[in-house]
Amino acid sequence: MKQLYKKGVWLFLCVFFTQLSFAQTEPSIKSRLTGRVLDAANKQPLPGAVVRINGVTNGVSADNEGKFTILTGQTFPFTITVTYIGYVTQEVVVNGSPIEITLKENIGQLNDVVITGYSTQERKYIAGSITSISSETIKDQPVAGFNQLLQGKAAGVQVLSNSGVPGGGITFRVRGSNSINASNDPLYIVDGVFLSNNDPVSSFGQQAGSNPIADLNVNDIESIQILKDANATAIYGSLGSNGVVIVTTKRGKRNTKGKINFNTYQGWSTAIKKFQVTDGPQTALLTNESKNNTAAETGVPATGLIANPESQPTYNRTDDLFRNARSQNYDLSTQGGSETSDYYIALGYLNQQSIVKPSDYTRYTARFNYDNNITKNLKVGTSVSISRSLRNLSGSDNNPQGVINSALFVRSYLPVFNADGTYARYGSFDNHLALIANLNNKSVGWRTVANFFGEYSFSPYLKLRSSWSVDTENENANSYSNTLISAGIASNGSASSSISQNYVYTNEQVLTFIKSFGKDNKHNINALIGNTLNTVNSNSTGSSGTGFATNNLTSVSSAATRSGSSSQSTAKLVSFFAKGSYAFDDKYIIDGSIRADASSRFGKNKQWGYFPSGGIAWRAGQEDFIKNLNFFDELKFRGSIGLSGNQAGIGSYAALGLWSSGANYLEQAGTSPSQLANPDLGWETTRQIDLGTEFTILNKRLTISLDYYNKYTYDLLLNVPVPYRSGFTSYLQNYGAMRNKGFEAAIHSTNINSGGFKWTTDFNISINRNKIEILPSDIVQGASGRNISILRQGYPVNSFYLYKQLYVDPQTGNAVYDDVNKDGKITSADRQIVGDAQPRFAGGFTNSVNYKNFDLNLFFYFQQGNKIMNMNDFFMVHGGTQANIGFVPRQLERWTTPGQITDIPRLTTVSSNPDQNGGSANNYGGNVASLSSRYLQDASFIRLKTATPGFTLPSSLTQKLSVSRARIYVQGTNLLTFTHYDGLDPEVSSQSANQNTAGYDWATVPQPRTIQVGINVSL
Amino acid sequence: MKRIYIYSLVLALATTTVSCKKYLDEKPNNAIATEDAIIDAGTARAAIIGTYDRLQGYYASQYPTLGTITADNVIFNGTLSEYLQLDQNAIPTDNVITMGTYTAIYRTINSANSVIAYVPAINDPLLTVTEKNKILGEAYFIRALSYFDLARGWGGVQLQLKPTADLNGLKGIKRSTLDQTYDQVLADLVQAENLLPEDATTRNRAQKSTARALRARLHLYRKQWADAETYATQVISNTKYALVKPYKTFFTAPFLSTESVFELTYSVNDRNGFWGTWYPSSAGGSFTLKPSDAIVAKLNNPQIGGTRSTLIAGTAPNIYGVLYNTTASSIDPSYVIRIAELYLIRAEARAQQNKLTGANSAASDLNIIRDRAGVLPTTATSQADLLQAIEDENNVEFAFEAHRWFDLTRTGRAGTVLGITNPNRYLFPIPLSDILSDPDVVQNPGY
Repeated sequence: MKQLYKKGVWLFLCVFFTQLSFAQTEPSIKSRLTGRVLDAANKQPLPGAVVRINGVTNGVSADNEGKFTILTGQTFPFTITVTYIGYVTQEVVVNGSPIEITLKENIGQLNDVVITGYSTQERKYIAGSITSISSETIKDQPVAGFNQLLQGKAAGVQVLSNSGVPGGGITFRVRGSNSINASNDPLYIVDGVFLSNNDPVSSFGQQAGSNPIADLNVNDIESIQILKDANATAIYGSLGSNGVVIVTTKRGKRNTKGKINFNTYQGWSTAIKKFQVTDGPQTALLTNESKNNTAAETGVPATGLIANPESQPTYNRTDDLFRNARSQNYDLSTQGGSETSDYYIALGYLNQQSIVKPSDYTRYTARFNYDNNITKNLKVGTSVSISRSLRNLSGSDNNPQGVINSALFVRSYLPVFNADGTYARYGSFDNHLALIANLNNKSVGWRTVANFFGEYSFSPYLKLRSSWSVDTENENANSYSNTLISAGIASNGSASSSISQNYVYTNEQVLTFIKSFGKDNKHNINALIGNTLNTVNSNSTGSSGTGFATNNLTSVSSAATRSGSSSQSTAKLVSFFAKGSYAFDDKYIIDGSIRADASSRFGKNKQWGYFPSGGIAWRAGQEDFIKNLNFFDELKFRGSIGLSGNQAGIGSYAALGLWSSGANYLEQAGTSPSQLANPDLGWETTRQIDLGTEFTILNKRLTISLDYYNKYTYDLLLNVPVPYRSGFTSYLQNYGAMRNKGFEAAIHSTNINSGGFKWTTDFNISINRNKIEILPSDIVQGASGRNISILRQGYPVNSFYLYKQLYVDPQTGNAVYDDVNKDGKITSADRQIVGDAQPRFAGGFTNSVNYKNFDLNLFFYFQQGNKIMNMNDFFMVHGGTQANIGFVPRQLERWTTPGQITDIPRLTTVSSNPDQNGGSANNYGGNVASLSSRYLQDASFIRLKTATPGFTLPSSLTQKLSVSRARIYVQGTNLLTFTHYDGLDPEVSSQSANQNTAGYDWATVPQPRTIQVGINVSL
Repeated sequence: MKRIYIYSLVLALATTTVSCKKYLDEKPNNAIATEDAIIDAGTARAAIIGTYDRLQGYYASQYPTLGTITADNVIFNGTLSEYLQLDQNAIPTDNVITMGTYTAIYRTINSANSVIAYVPAINDPLLTVTEKNKILGEAYFIRALSYFDLARGWGGVQLQLKPTADLNGLKGIKRSTLDQTYDQVLADLVQAENLLPEDATTRNRAQKSTARALRARLHLYRKQWADAETYATQVISNTKYALVKPYKTFFTAPFLSTESVFELTYSVNDRNGFWGTWYPSSAGGSFTLKPSDAIVAKLNNPQIGGTRSTLIAGTAPNIYGVLYNTTASSIDPSYVIRIAELYLIRAEARAQQNKLTGANSAASDLNIIRDRAGVLPTTATSQADLLQAIEDENNVEFAFEAHRWFDLTRTGRAGTVLGITNPNRYLFPIPLSDILSDPDVVQNPGY
């Protein structure tokens, strides 16, 4: 292979030399033309613009100052054609030298410039499926992470917030979930830096996680490209199978005057809906009814009945949880450039409170982007982003010692305080007010994302770029549980302190060759080769202590008993890649790429993986017979196929046979077997086919893009269950397969554009069907050992595995379940898949209206067909089986009288005959143990995510204020939601720490409704 | 210039490729390769320590939970349905506690198997024959205890006697009968008794007398009354052991009282948080396991519980068990065998052999236990009454230890006492996931 690779490199370079010497052939000189090529709008030079005399095969490229010189055999006057990526091609008749040529930017979807893997290409030449999103689409929203803002903005991309906690975790999927045990998250690349996507908060047992990408300030982003199909992602090989999100941040432009921008907004958030529980009398009544029903059936007299149920008091706990939460954001940036350099400098501050106490999130960001053209051919630059984020967190809200659970689950007739004024606690639950007042979990993150590059142009066509980047994440988490909350009572206070560091180092070399040649420049080549060295290093050190003299001492060092821990791991990746694209006559495009990757994570026998891809595109709109139809302004068909790989999310040492340390006893160090060796462990591979078309009609007013894809992921990195008698529970193997196929459409329409009135509509929809094709056996998990989620061959991931309740018998009031195996009994064999958490389709719908100085933007997000497991109902419609838990109002719909039709069975705690279908035991306990489909609900929804009216101050006024532009706006977020789901919010996923257990609503902070006022000013 | 640059680029790429293998060789710093796991004195010691750690893995909370909540002394009072299923004796095949325990026991067995397989081959002057024998004896004992705990919970199980190096050697081991499993336990105990040392103080590592004590229990379960009596007597007559008074001494720090034949010790660096499952949230626990009204009444009755009333605390309705009580430090031991049990084993064995009253009889052994708890001597004289009295005594003496369920199932009394009409339910189910992944295992009848 090494030999082959070296030969390949030589071959490639030989081709380059041929091209170079070809370019240097000159005819006899009759005239000399010099000039500059500039951007028509800002008079900036356009280095690399190609100037060509018509009728002559070869042209020249403008240098870094936009200057060019042509020595030609022709005499003045003659016609030249000037072309530049992203600009309208111009023909100019020249009659003398020097000249200045200005090019206009080409605005129109199909002609956009697209940043693809390691190169920039015109959209018209792209054979892959790539969605581009501009910063305009995602600006000024009360959300920290840009990835969260991509929800509904890109076809084929599904984004869901896991909770409403600011800076909280999200689920981001490009064209569905490929993997079971390896990661499903995309690769994020910011200015060439491979970002780490580790949860920044490793402590505190966050149920819904935090968003690592929130460290990046949205305001610094210029554009985002989402690479979706294999043709686009294969160049990232083993990192690319879950899609690639390429972020380009703002940079200054050369020869521009410095400009200052200031943005701010102030926001106020409230809960859309609050938790409801039954009041004191209702709770007492239901409790007694359950006891009496049970007694009537068993013949054992009821004990512990609540006297005078109707006169029980009610203590409202759930309202204590919520608050009107503030958000504030300030951004200050400046950008500009001299003749040889440009800069962008920005500072940002964001502070957001959660609507559920006591969480909040504060972020400080700073960015410095700088480029310098040291010589005509050598350019160096840097992008540096530093951020500090502070999170105040509440730990797991769905733990009995979590804030929401202790308010929601405790029976409403029980007082919040004891008679002596101390906090009252019941059963497993802590006191919610004690928690709100005393929780002390703070996480401080420092993140530096930096890239340094040098770029040397050997010629206008051949360029070498070397890039060195680092992403460092530092988290310092401190927690103290004092003696006023359950977690600290017994131990006299307990504290923990940890520092986690995650470093990603990347070094890349890319040699790029771009050239057009031939008659009328009919041949267009864009090629590159390169290599990557990537190292991921994680370290953590933690300490904990118990036993404190007083609650005012909160540091581990003050504890009576202390202990420590540490860990480290390193994974490395070595890659080589090459890509080439050839376009003929602007009509026919063929491209291909290959990447070879070797990972330290894998077994000795399977370390290398090879990921090729190929695509073709046909710009049918350029054909005369289509032009003659006078219907299409643009029409393109494209198709691609390729492989990409995945290794993320598995342990750094997953292939080794290991005995772990720390198996200690009697203060002596011990070891025990922890992992079986798998020298054949290798790449999880995704093969993807994509067929798409893009066309523009009605005088460029309507642009439509359609894609069909079929992804087959095989050799899954799967923890295959093994016989337990081996002493192991699973073995990481390449086993299993998954398929995602789907269809996506994006429509951009300019409905009206006249008389200063402009109305545009964007619509996109994605349909994905996910199916596990091969799996050795069912894998069940989720909901703290209740195993409500299942992975089963032939079904989608995130399927729910429950007893299907058919009806509540109107005569007996007992629940009757689907007896799957028809054995007349209800046993675990009768659990079945009753839906999944994946939407049938999802999308976004945006309308923008501009009239004179007014603008209005309305954005709806929708998804349909996904199910959600309402764990709040699961616990709080318990029929009396949970002695320490109250009820939600849905329990009031229980069966009480013969003939009654309802889906909530009779209250009872009878436990005999758990196998009997239609018996009392299975109403809430028994074999079913409430794992009933009656708690599974449809979570389809349409939501008005944002509504933004804005007003730009007239220039007459702004000139007086000596600002160049000023806009004020009001924005409403989550103003309207249409759903059948009766929980607080259909857009939560409480168990998302495990990607295979999506779709639970379990004591989770809902999405807030926010009203904000903001202003953007440019000086 | 260009050429030179490109040459050097190619050279750089080529060099990178050559050094790839080395570059990609990464090893952890907190784990050792399987092939280096047991090769000298240090690793052999670490391996047996690790085996004890695995034993802690299922004895800290899982096994005592299985042995208590399933019977009538402890009820479910938390939020986790896997406990409710155990409490209601409606245990589905995917119950996570039975599954967790089953896997943890086999993990222990794999560790013990590794020691038994690899330690004899070690040739290290630092590892004396005496120490080698001790390590091997401990491994045999732990394997015996593990298989015994599997047998009484799940019936005859698959006898895995070799360490798992890869998955290829696993095929073809079917479930044994209950007798075969118990025979394996006996064989291991015989080995253990031969190899283990005996001293006057050790209670948290296996000793000759520990093996004998487990052997007495094994014979009791197999209804080999004479052997049960013999081995119980051997342990009781060891002066190292004596009942402590008052009762609560054995579960009050410092632990390792003379009562203890075998307990697993924890420390602030190696904690046992099982108390949290018993204590209410006002004391920092989750209160998942709660003493039943019936056992509370018995313990509080001076004629039945006596000083054993110290096993509970709090006021109704928040009465909780305090057998595990080191709330600040979490260093409660796992109680595996107490000398009290040997008296009651011998009492039952003697009663079964009709040695009912008088000196060295069932009644005399029973009364030793009752006397320690401050309860009057038994009035039972007939065999049936004495057996009942011994069962009742076991119930309060080991109220929150892993005894009641196994006593009622081994004697077949679970139906009468607990109302479990289907005797198939005396055994726990083999985990569903294991049935799916292991073609050699068959489910217990009735599941």
